[in-house]
Amino acid sequence: MRKPGEIVVGLGFLAIGIGFMVGAIHLKLGGPTDPQPGFFPFLDGIILIVLSAIFLFNAWTGRIGESPAFGKLLGPVIVVLALILYVAALEKLGYVITTALLSAVVLKVLETKLKVLIVVSLLLPVASYVIFDRLLGVTLPPGLLSAFL
Amino acid sequence: MDFVNNLGSGFVIALSASNLFYCAIGAILGTAIGVLPGLGPPATIALLLPVTLKMEPVSAVIMLAGIFCGAMYGGSTTSILLNIPGEAASVVTCLDGYKMARNGRAGAALGMSAIGSFIAGTLSVLGISILAPTLASFALKFGPPEYFCLVFLGLMMAIYLSEESVLKGLMMGFLGLLLGTIGLDPVNGTPRFTFGLSRLTDGVDFVVMVMGLFGLAEILCNLEEPENREIFKTALTGLLPSREDWRLAWASVLRGSVLGFFIGVLPGGGAIISSFAAYAVEKRLSKHPERFGKGAIEGVAAPESANNAASTSSFIPLLTLGIPGNASIAMIFVALMIHGIRPGPLLLQEHPEVFWGVIASMYIGNAMLLGLNLPLISFWVRMLKVPYRYLAVVVVVVCVIGAYSVNNSAWDVGMMVFFGVVGYLLRKFAFPAAPFILAMILGPMLEKTLQQSLIASGGDPMTFLSRPISAALLVVAGLLMLTPVARQIWKRRRFGQNV
Repeated sequence: MRKPGEIVVGLGFLAIGIGFMVGAIHLKLGGPTDPQPGFFPFLDGIILIVLSAIFLFNAWTGRIGESPAFGKLLGPVIVVLALILYVAALEKLGYVITTALLSAVVLKVLETKLKVLIVVSLLLPVASYVIFDRLLGVTLPPGLLSAFL
Repeated sequence: MDFVNNLGSGFVIALSASNLFYCAIGAILGTAIGVLPGLGPPATIALLLPVTLKMEPVSAVIMLAGIFCGAMYGGSTTSILLNIPGEAASVVTCLDGYKMARNGRAGAALGMSAIGSFIAGTLSVLGISILAPTLASFALKFGPPEYFCLVFLGLMMAIYLSEESVLKGLMMGFLGLLLGTIGLDPVNGTPRFTFGLSRLTDGVDFVVMVMGLFGLAEILCNLEEPENREIFKTALTGLLPSREDWRLAWASVLRGSVLGFFIGVLPGGGAIISSFAAYAVEKRLSKHPERFGKGAIEGVAAPESANNAASTSSFIPLLTLGIPGNASIAMIFVALMIHGIRPGPLLLQEHPEVFWGVIASMYIGNAMLLGLNLPLISFWVRMLKVPYRYLAVVVVVVCVIGAYSVNNSAWDVGMMVFFGVVGYLLRKFAFPAAPFILAMILGPMLEKTLQQSLIASGGDPMTFLSRPISAALLVVAGLLMLTPVARQIWKRRRFGQNV
């Protein structure tokens, strides 16, 4: 039986192998007597291409063990999207505001009661800001709240 | 009895007030993350790396080693009480430990696992102090070809032992070697695969990557289903195993320790395999194998001793050869490098204080863990009752802060998220992450020794086969890689073409 998921993953590995191999050729390969910067990545790239080809063959012919099944994808997808927005907004809006929103999303996905959700999403960013920024000396972006923090 | 003096000087270092403090912090944190699902030792160590920058190198490694060993102790608590292994190394403890808890003997199981771990850790520390210096002085005679073959064998062994599918392990290994070439070339400093981005000239940051691959990825997996767990309610009385328990289990503790020690020395061997091996050995040697799986105390004592002995002895290849054998040790490797200390055969000569200080503190850490675990078990159990959602949100926030703190930039948080998604997908397709990390770390060493060997031999690849030690190492690596293929062919011969 063909494994479409595995085939996509195998193609991904193959593409990375080819990408590095081509990049390595541009870096100059040299030879065994005089190896240049591209020499080692070129060798690795070729080996990865061969391994990916074997994997693709196995995936195509179904000679591959079962992988753990995907569960409900909604939760992870929502959190990853929230994290992408978080990264984009972190330095502009500041740590406390963005982290409060992020915490709320994570808690919502994990089916938290509204009251608890609000309390935790307000407390966690402030508490972690105090602990890490003030006590442990990690600089976190203040953003919009810079007047208060 | 040179090692007694050396170990003595190590104790002087480890017993200083500040190092004792860091050791205790490490042990407590380690136990906590071992008990709680969500953030394993590699991600925790990665997270704390920026914090260790301001510490003395010895103190930094002492704390990180405490986390690693503490997690082994903590992991067994959840296996016994919940049938959920906090750490992969405690999977096998579930078999008999949880049954013992159901039979009302949770206390004895927890006690046996803590005391067995302590005995094993102690024996393992003694083993390190004797074996490591010999190994280091042997490795000093290695030239680049031997070193290349040794690193290559270490990597192959880690791949071979870590997962069922050697092909997937190899793919991850070579992917790691490729990503490890991003940044400046270790031989002549040419920037490679940086796409002109100055952020990439130092390569991909390990801390950010490990937090994504091990921390965030785990959370993403658990977000699929809001989790329900139930703690097995049992009266925790009589934490000390009875005399009858000891009569049954003392030999298992010793066998588990010795087996664990030797398996732990192998790269990739480590705590997981040793616990399974120790369980299998006990079952085979037992006069009543039918008791196993139904709450046999030997089934708790042996694997718990073995995984602790192995996690201690897995420091041997790091400290003597400079080869980390698993992802946690790899993070300790990175910590040493950040402090300008190169782990390897020269470590013992250049930084004896680091070497002996760390070993002595592991011994002290074991004593602390015993002290922490027995009286505090009810505390750890209460911690387990914290709902997963709070844990998940804290881990996400901590990963974000950890990634941001590396360079004070949102870019690193973005990279962490990227590696989190990659790690999540890799888990879903059962690709192991450890070979990837090890390969990234070992890549530059592999490349350098390969180039040096080739240049010295005038470009003759036969140089690796004409020197006895390197040839032997290569042959072993080759055999390891060929065994799955051979097994396949053998199966097909035996069972016909359909397999």
